[in-house]
Amino acid sequence: MTEVEPGRVSRPYDDHVHEGPRPLVAVLGGGRFGLALVKAAARTGEVLLWSRRDPELGLDNLRVTSDLADVAAAELVLMAVPSRYAEDMLREAGCHLDGRHLLVHVSRGLLDDELRTMSHVLKTVTPCRRVGVLAGPISVDVLTNASPGAGVVGSEFPEVAEAVRGALGGPTLRIYDSSDMRGVELAAALTGLLLFTVGFAQGVGFGPSTIGAMTTRGVAEVARIGMALGARADTFGGLACFGDLLAAVAGSDRPELELGRALAEGATPRAALLRAGGNIEGIEVARRVSTFGTRRKIRTPLADVIAAMVGGELTASEAVRSLMGRDVGSE
Amino acid sequence: MPQPAPKSSRIRDLLTKPIRLPQWLAKRPSVDDPRIFGFNEERDAVVSEVSTRVVGQCLSGRGELELLLNDSAHREIKRLEKQRDEEAREWLGFWQTVVRKLARMTETEQRESLRQIVDSMATDVAGNFDPRVYSFAQRVIPGMIAGVMNPKQLAVDAINAGKVGAERLVTLTGHLDELHSLSRVGTVIVVPTHSSNLDSLAIGESLAREELPPVVYGAGKNLFTNPIISFFMHNLGAYRIDRRISSRIYKQVLKTYSCVMIERGYHSLFFPGGTRSRSGMIERHLKLGLAGTAVEAFARNAIRARKTGEAPTPIFFVPVTINYALVLEAESLIADYLKEEGQARYIIEDDEFSQLDRWLAFFRRLTSYGAACVLRYGPAIDPFGNRVDERGRSLAPNGRVIDPVSYVTHRGEPVLDPVRDAAYTRELGRELVGHYRRETVIMTTQLVAHVLFRRLVRETPGLDLFGRVRRRGEISWDHAEYVRSYLDTRERLRELQRAGEVQINSYVETDSAERALERALEAWDGYHTRPMARIADGQVVIEDPALLLYYQNRLVTFAERIAGEGDERAAREIAAFGGGELP
Repeated sequence: MTEVEPGRVSRPYDDHVHEGPRPLVAVLGGGRFGLALVKAAARTGEVLLWSRRDPELGLDNLRVTSDLADVAAAELVLMAVPSRYAEDMLREAGCHLDGRHLLVHVSRGLLDDELRTMSHVLKTVTPCRRVGVLAGPISVDVLTNASPGAGVVGSEFPEVAEAVRGALGGPTLRIYDSSDMRGVELAAALTGLLLFTVGFAQGVGFGPSTIGAMTTRGVAEVARIGMALGARADTFGGLACFGDLLAAVAGSDRPELELGRALAEGATPRAALLRAGGNIEGIEVARRVSTFGTRRKIRTPLADVIAAMVGGELTASEAVRSLMGRDVGSE
Repeated sequence: MPQPAPKSSRIRDLLTKPIRLPQWLAKRPSVDDPRIFGFNEERDAVVSEVSTRVVGQCLSGRGELELLLNDSAHREIKRLEKQRDEEAREWLGFWQTVVRKLARMTETEQRESLRQIVDSMATDVAGNFDPRVYSFAQRVIPGMIAGVMNPKQLAVDAINAGKVGAERLVTLTGHLDELHSLSRVGTVIVVPTHSSNLDSLAIGESLAREELPPVVYGAGKNLFTNPIISFFMHNLGAYRIDRRISSRIYKQVLKTYSCVMIERGYHSLFFPGGTRSRSGMIERHLKLGLAGTAVEAFARNAIRARKTGEAPTPIFFVPVTINYALVLEAESLIADYLKEEGQARYIIEDDEFSQLDRWLAFFRRLTSYGAACVLRYGPAIDPFGNRVDERGRSLAPNGRVIDPVSYVTHRGEPVLDPVRDAAYTRELGRELVGHYRRETVIMTTQLVAHVLFRRLVRETPGLDLFGRVRRRGEISWDHAEYVRSYLDTRERLRELQRAGEVQINSYVETDSAERALERALEAWDGYHTRPMARIADGQVVIEDPALLLYYQNRLVTFAERIAGEGDERAAREIAAFGGGELP
């Protein structure tokens, strides 16, 4: 039997810069965030955009296609399709992908009451295993205008984070990696709840101390949920949760903030949703987290209150009373 | 400087090294024989390949060799000082000399010591396979179990127990046809659930009955202490794992041995849960351990095959659930689970496995129960979790044939990468957990125990698990109500079966509620030392909640979905034992 070279194994992506031009990157979805990803990736090499319409960005190294079979030519595939369309699209894309593709999503949603995340769909409807999630305070502005910023890629496979770094990273964008993919996904999804809380507190007219207290306790709550699902607590102190939250406090334009403000100002849930701009995954997240907490006996006071408010069962003042009236414990 | 060397002892060798039959009497394996029939001819080559590879890996970390030797020596000295047996007398001096001389050793001397250590470890681990022992064992396995453990006064009982046809004890179901064709085109890795020490025998029996090729497997060194069991184990392809050794070098030897065996195409058996399930639950978190080396083995074969332009031999994982109506070691296992004894939990010194009267009682019960052990072979998957077809080709979720080599490539070329392979292995563990759940066959004793235990939980709100297991003989339940609850639960279980989420044993399917209770009580009463439940004055009285917990735990993951009205809260609490639904 011929011996395969013993000794140190190769980790080719350690020195990917010496390996010639960056392989093709595909972006699935031509929404606002998808196009921002395209612009960032086009700064480092060839990009393929799968979209129903041509956004006419005028980039030389961009090719637009409406045929998912073309995506097979890429190595890294960035999935930026809204969660509710993702499964069907991925099922079709899965017909053209295999084990060599690195598949990364940017979803902030949760799929069901078991708090399953998008990576579950990625792995069950496509043959891809090297999957990951891109999260953190990466805004359209950071990607499009190359403003300084940072994000985190959660993946158990180092080559996935490395490929995203190679595609999007650069002098102004730092891409960190974390092997706690589930943690990063949950942090990204559950931060939506905290953003809502910040917006709500602002709407009610609470001062910085109140907002500080609510959000900090909120981080503890979401970390508790994450840990019950096998995530690491420290992931919630990183870019995917804390980073996103600080961006919101500093004034980002996430719709969850506006939704919280609208409800605090007495708008009906439906009107508040309209004002905040339609579909917000954070709303469904609140109900799911609350149900999950009840079933698994995990304290989720913020999620419970938000779910009740959005469902029209609690008014803003009742919500505040309910939160403040709870027993106090150790931090 | 003279090299340290272990004391050799021929007497010790005779007492502790497994016995082999003389090779000059053996006939040479033919080309049609299973791969393992030729193992003895390859054995030295395997040991030498393992040695070379481990030494190479240990040397690749610069400046770490001294640290590695020092660490291993101290761990071994600590272990052997406690052990005080023949092995200690042989090796203690060697390790002490290594520690004493290490600082003064040249690099060449350090390497030589390492090579000596690795060689002896690899030789100690390596198994043997004798086709003569195999064909003998194949004929007498069920009798052998009782015969080996047979003291004079119990000989008659034992022989009677031994006469029971294995077909009556063990029922085989599942994807066996597929397994036949896969074992011809690739390397099969059988990965069963683990609840009893009888599991490896049950697997061996099932493969022999199906005329499938035998598998190699690792067995704890503690099982090699009985010379007769040791003889069979050793000559039937078992390699020895000494769980007491914590040295990194030894772990590397074990991993490399299993990797080399898989690479060379030997069908293997691993219990990916590691040890027997203490709680009785279906395994939920698999570490995979040595089975994880399959990904590396596949990558190495892919690199080799790329050089010759061929496709590598495929590797298949075959999940198997072993479902017992009665578990030999149930009492010790659940006691251990409840005690949560910490680190040394995997070695229970004196469980039912070593008690003769328990074996006999157990077999008597099993034979009167009929098919009391159901082995269900699940569908095969590749090391990356994809289903494979009967020709061994990996399939995407939509049924398209995909190339498994694509999972170990980087920019088109297959490469080795331990971090990547560890991630694939974790993923495979999660995939197998799902297969275990779907392929679990629910037995009457488990369903009856679940319905009774759920009642106990319902009747004792606010009490913790330990409070509940102490409630012996305190909870009774109207028999007619029990029957209603059982039938309702069974119907919900059937719905899960129709949805392909679990399997149901034929007795559960056909027995009336009354008969099912009777069947379960009969099985338990004849074997377990305490009654688990009894019927008195039209009431079902719960007598041993701890054992009920053990048997019902098999249903933990389904608890919420098979609970009827009024049982939801109790079911939720039961589901929480296992950490809720699976991801």
